[in-house]
Amino acid sequence: MEPIIKVEDLTHIYPTGQVVAVKDISLEINPGEIVGVIGQNGSGKTTLVKHFIGLLKPTSGKVIVNGKDTAPLRVQQIAANVGYVYQNPNHQLFARTVREELAFGPRNLDLPEDEVNARVEQAVEFFHLEELLELHPYRISFPLRKLVGMASIYTMRPAVFILDEPTTGQDNITTQTVYRLIKKLRDEGSTVLCVAHDMILLAEVVDRMLVLRDGDLIMDATPREVFSNYEIMSSTHLTPPQITTLSLRLREKYDAFDNVALSIDEMVSEVQKFSNK
Amino acid sequence: MQGVVIPISMVPGDSIIHRINPLPKLAWAFGVLVISFATRNPLILSTLFVVGVILILVAQVGNAYLKVAMILFPISLTLIVLQSIAPAFPKPWTPIVSVGPFTIFQEGIYSGISMLLRIFAMTTWAMLMIMTSHPSDIFTSLQKIGMPYVLNFILTMTLQLLPILQNEFAVVLNAQKSRAMKGSGFGAILPSMVPVFVGAIERVQQLSISLESRAFGSSGHKTSYRRVRMTFWDILLIVLGIVFTAGMTYWIIVDKSLDWSETMVFHPAFAIGLVVFATLGFLAFVVIALRNVLQA
Amino acid sequence: MSESKPIIEFKDVTFWYGQNETEPALKNINLTIHEGDYVALLGLNGAGKTTLQLCINGVVPNNILGNFEGQVIVDGKDTLETPVREMAKIVGMVFDNPEFQLSQMSVGEEIALGMESLGYSYEEMVETIDEVLDIVGLQGLTERSPFGLSGGQQQRLSIASALAMRPKILVMDEPTSNVDPIGKEEIFQVAYELNRKRNMTVIMAEHEVEVMAQYANLVVVMHEGEIVLQGTPEEVFSNVDLLKSLGLRMPQVAAFGNELEKLGIMTLNGHYPVKLSQAVETYGRLFEKKAG
Repeated sequence: MEPIIKVEDLTHIYPTGQVVAVKDISLEINPGEIVGVIGQNGSGKTTLVKHFIGLLKPTSGKVIVNGKDTAPLRVQQIAANVGYVYQNPNHQLFARTVREELAFGPRNLDLPEDEVNARVEQAVEFFHLEELLELHPYRISFPLRKLVGMASIYTMRPAVFILDEPTTGQDNITTQTVYRLIKKLRDEGSTVLCVAHDMILLAEVVDRMLVLRDGDLIMDATPREVFSNYEIMSSTHLTPPQITTLSLRLREKYDAFDNVALSIDEMVSEVQKFSNK
Repeated sequence: MQGVVIPISMVPGDSIIHRINPLPKLAWAFGVLVISFATRNPLILSTLFVVGVILILVAQVGNAYLKVAMILFPISLTLIVLQSIAPAFPKPWTPIVSVGPFTIFQEGIYSGISMLLRIFAMTTWAMLMIMTSHPSDIFTSLQKIGMPYVLNFILTMTLQLLPILQNEFAVVLNAQKSRAMKGSGFGAILPSMVPVFVGAIERVQQLSISLESRAFGSSGHKTSYRRVRMTFWDILLIVLGIVFTAGMTYWIIVDKSLDWSETMVFHPAFAIGLVVFATLGFLAFVVIALRNVLQA
Repeated sequence: MSESKPIIEFKDVTFWYGQNETEPALKNINLTIHEGDYVALLGLNGAGKTTLQLCINGVVPNNILGNFEGQVIVDGKDTLETPVREMAKIVGMVFDNPEFQLSQMSVGEEIALGMESLGYSYEEMVETIDEVLDIVGLQGLTERSPFGLSGGQQQRLSIASALAMRPKILVMDEPTSNVDPIGKEEIFQVAYELNRKRNMTVIMAEHEVEVMAQYANLVVVMHEGEIVLQGTPEEVFSNVDLLKSLGLRMPQVAAFGNELEKLGIMTLNGHYPVKLSQAVETYGRLFEKKAG
């Protein structure tokens, strides 16, 4: 399978301050993969994913998205393939109504009007925005704005979906919608990159994690491997989900315990396995 | 987004001018402002300008000053164009040359040149003050001579907010490009400006609650954390500044021979060349600026 | 903590933002918080957590106007009769967006802002600034620009700015929602130490239930302007069905206990562990029995 994103020896140095934001990163992401990108602020994770939509261009190395080198392309050209949902929805909402907001992206892609409308309808149904359609995006609550922000990218149907901190500061209801969205995108075969600090979310939805520290890609593995790696976790000051830590502690204490659990369900089946022995 | 950032702020340094208290610098900058408005005499204005530039070099803030001047120069060129065909002078005007429907006037060229010099004399001295003094020190000094506390706060906050809004604008522009926003022009203005303004309003609302919660805006006695030291030399400089300004202004009012509007005669070729140069210079600037802002 | 004296009392508080609102933002709030409590305020966005917190220093209803009924007594003072600037000496506030609370050119000036308004002497300010920077772990940054700090540092600066007026109560509205994990850790640590070492009353609205279960001694759950549950973390997180119906999460280790009980693997009678250390002990028994 051709990777949808291919990064070759990517280094990015910001012109001001000469800070090396990412160093010599190489990786491939296959279509349909759900990938978490983790690390502290300043570790380079945002810098890395911004290259995938051309907001940043490599200082050296190459970024190939959907078979095309991003270097000569404008963001607007890449946007048909790659959607970027900003952490703060206020950074992208401007239209007079939620409906206009959702239609903005697909219209920019020059889709026929009935296709635009069909996509808006689908997004409305999925995100439950029926009652908000004619409202001003700034008249609705912040969590709902966050959903509108995601929906306004969803209508563009990009092959790659980048979510920047989708659950940070959100309550459980919004968080559940993010879970549903990622699962739906997975079913539709989209590739998802989730830049997040929310380990509970990542543990449950991603297949693979990229761990960054000071601009280096220090680990590229499954969440189970990442969370079990004490050295990586402590050197990046990241904490696994509580249930994962519980399973790690129990495993340390009782050798009867086999696998590291990523979710409550996994932990329950681990216990069931044990009591059936 | 480098093109949009106008760097009018303190340039840290340890020059002799940095070490002067902000008040004497303020007094001199204000004095130059008064003198510049009092006269149109090109020699006086250009002398003030040149002295200002020398002091800028002494303060080692030349690079930052140059950036501001490069934006200011093309904008002030419009003055030459506008003044040359419609001088801010009592009629009758003396025509030099006519091109089609436009007539360039002697008074216009004189007035345009002096206005350009006036702007440069004033801003050079103002920049000298701003670029060599910590903004807090300027505001604290102003407060000492009677500026209201709240006004001080508003100025401080505005200074803080400007770079933040510029930064927000860049973020928003990126967010909209990520939604395949059609390039540039007026279509891009709404999607990129609305979020910035809404964000700014939300920020100010939040900030006001936060400030109220910190007892800000209480009536009653207030104190200041910033301390600005005033030496004998600072006071001497202020006195000299006032004397200089008063003396110059008096001279300008009394000595009518300083008005060169009749005696300084311009050749038609010079007039046309100047106006054409100013027009082109300004247009080139507008095109470059728009490209920077919208395409980035 | 029941021996210590009440420091915050809400008596039948109802509040509407503006005349035209049909639903009040707060409905019949009755709540007593004691000196030295660490209170976790849970609830969905829009449940009324922020409004309740703004009542504590009187910003609601003195600065944010609306229809206010009832009474809030804080450290013996009725908030309706006490100006907010007076309340600043009793209650410190920290909000969710670190940058939206900052306005000054340097860290020192940021902290001094409130003290200047209250007319503190220069010497007192210098001394206090050093002291509060030390408490939040930002020593030596007095001359730095607040806007050049990391999110976690900015939030700690906001805490320091509030501490400068020597409040007894620290109210924090989702203080970690805009910072990275290191920043979160730092903020939780500072709040914890203020509570334990200086007996400061902390009221924190937060979505991170695991952390709240760790630190808080009182958990208050809000829904649509009302307090629907309050008690110790153990008490509150035993109400699994209610919390679920409200759309709220509980600590993973408690939810796990509930699952085990439902499946008949373990009998806990609703007493689920809420902290990791408790959980290791409780669930360890499952494995010990077998091993033994």
